[in-house]
Amino acid sequence: MMCDFFHSLCADPVNAIGGWFVLLPAAVLLLAAAASVVLRNLIHAALCLTLSFIALGVVYLALGAEFVGFVQLLVYVGAVAMVIVFAILLTRPDELERSRSFFAGFGPAGGAAAALATLAVLLGAIFTSPTGDRPMPPAVAVPVADLGKALMGDYVVALIVIGVLLTAALVGAAVLAMEDEP
Amino acid sequence: MNLLERAPIELKAWLLNLLGVFGVPDWALAILSALLIIGTVIAVFLGLFALTSVMERKILARVQNRLGPNRVGPFGLFQPVADGIKMITKEDLVPRGADPIVHFLAPVVMMVPALLVLAILPYGRDMVPVELEAGILYFFAVGAGTEVAVFMAGWGSNNKYSVLGAMRAIAQMISYEIPLVLSAIVAAMIAGSLMPSVIVAAQGGFAFGFVPQWFVFTPWGFTAGLIFYIGALAESNRSPFDLPEGESELVAGHLTEYSGFKYATFFMAEYVGMFAICGLFVTLFLGGWQAPLPFLEIIPSWCWFFGKVCFVAFTMIWVRATLPRLRIDHLLAFAWKFLLPMSFAAFLAAACWHYAGRGALGWGMSLVIVAVPYLALGTSFTRRFAVSKRTYQFSE
Repeated sequence: MMCDFFHSLCADPVNAIGGWFVLLPAAVLLLAAAASVVLRNLIHAALCLTLSFIALGVVYLALGAEFVGFVQLLVYVGAVAMVIVFAILLTRPDELERSRSFFAGFGPAGGAAAALATLAVLLGAIFTSPTGDRPMPPAVAVPVADLGKALMGDYVVALIVIGVLLTAALVGAAVLAMEDEP
Repeated sequence: MNLLERAPIELKAWLLNLLGVFGVPDWALAILSALLIIGTVIAVFLGLFALTSVMERKILARVQNRLGPNRVGPFGLFQPVADGIKMITKEDLVPRGADPIVHFLAPVVMMVPALLVLAILPYGRDMVPVELEAGILYFFAVGAGTEVAVFMAGWGSNNKYSVLGAMRAIAQMISYEIPLVLSAIVAAMIAGSLMPSVIVAAQGGFAFGFVPQWFVFTPWGFTAGLIFYIGALAESNRSPFDLPEGESELVAGHLTEYSGFKYATFFMAEYVGMFAICGLFVTLFLGGWQAPLPFLEIIPSWCWFFGKVCFVAFTMIWVRATLPRLRIDHLLAFAWKFLLPMSFAAFLAAACWHYAGRGALGWGMSLVIVAVPYLALGTSFTRRFAVSKRTYQFSE
């Protein structure tokens, strides 16, 4: 089998590597996500998180989901990462020191317990999920126009509800940010 | 005519054929073909950058009634070479308090999206490096990386001017990206596709045999095009939206602590990004590579594309020479309170045009839908920002 792979690698390296290409951004994604948790420097952590957003977008692209990949980049890198960065820049470091949360008192043991509990819940959800038993659907390239038609047709209610929710959030943010009239 | 029109494509095919004769395997030819396109695009745009860096100074000098650079070579045309030598040999300073990795990576990250977005522009008939079905979306998705780079430059320099400049730049980019994307969607909506080549094809043909059917020659297209143009100015941090680098208050914004080739990289990325967004403007509203008059179609399509891009870049330089810088609150208010409602109006007008058709009804309806909010917003703005005695919070 290894020999076959090498044979196809010599004959047509582009196609032979093409199938494995998805592993590269996936590895970057995992490393960057781990770094964003481990790093002590908040800005470095935020930048690593941004890198993991980008890597996730590339994973989508490598798997053939063109539209989802680009939207992932546009929304997460263009908006979410910037919001995180602004939140860090606009909070003073000394405030950060003082605001000790209730959970900080438990120390590393509490953190480990929380992480284990989360892992247990996630693993439980993954192993009991029926998704794994279903047969793989055939890979189809969905045209962007069809996605748009589906969003405007079958899923239009969900789309409008999300739009109203986001508008409400935006209005709320504007009200919060508004200065009181003197 | 046909030979010139297809010259770049034929040249590439001939070159690859030649290599194929010498026994280069097919997979290597596929890679070489891609590399040829990439190399050509990058070379053309870096050449344009070099040319513009001297032409901009010449044009600004002409507007300000002086001579501009004229010492190096004929008419000062070799000025970019002198600039390049100066930039490469200049000392590269990194502040002691700076974050070395972030400071180093920022110009690199800045350059990546500027070059990546060039992939989807249709440079001529059948001359799109990458045919993406969601091409317009790709342009904006990849362009989002610029904001990350600006933030990295600002924060990594560990300088208050850098951070303030970066925050201004990001606030401005995010605010102007919304009208920019909305006005781009208007063109995509009428063409019925996010594919740049389809949008260009939808603007082909001539009404009455001589009026080009570019989107900019319709009420909604003119509005959306103007909004896109203003957004493009802001997005590429050009005057009158260059206050992230306002030297009178912020030294040079996020570029303050950069020198030597890192500074040159930023400069280059900004100019290539400007050309890219000019190219998208031409593609979306100015008919892409289509000739403006039927008999002018003997000139190859790629000449038209680059001619139009250079013309749009020239108008940007002209605007820079003419308009003073905006204040930050005026700038953001303009984006949110004027451009955003206007782009919604253009959106609505385009929808009416789509259903009413390219007739008197479509023209009338879209004209009314665009004109009424323009007049209403315009009068409310002139009333709110009427000239009166200014009161300042922190000064007298």
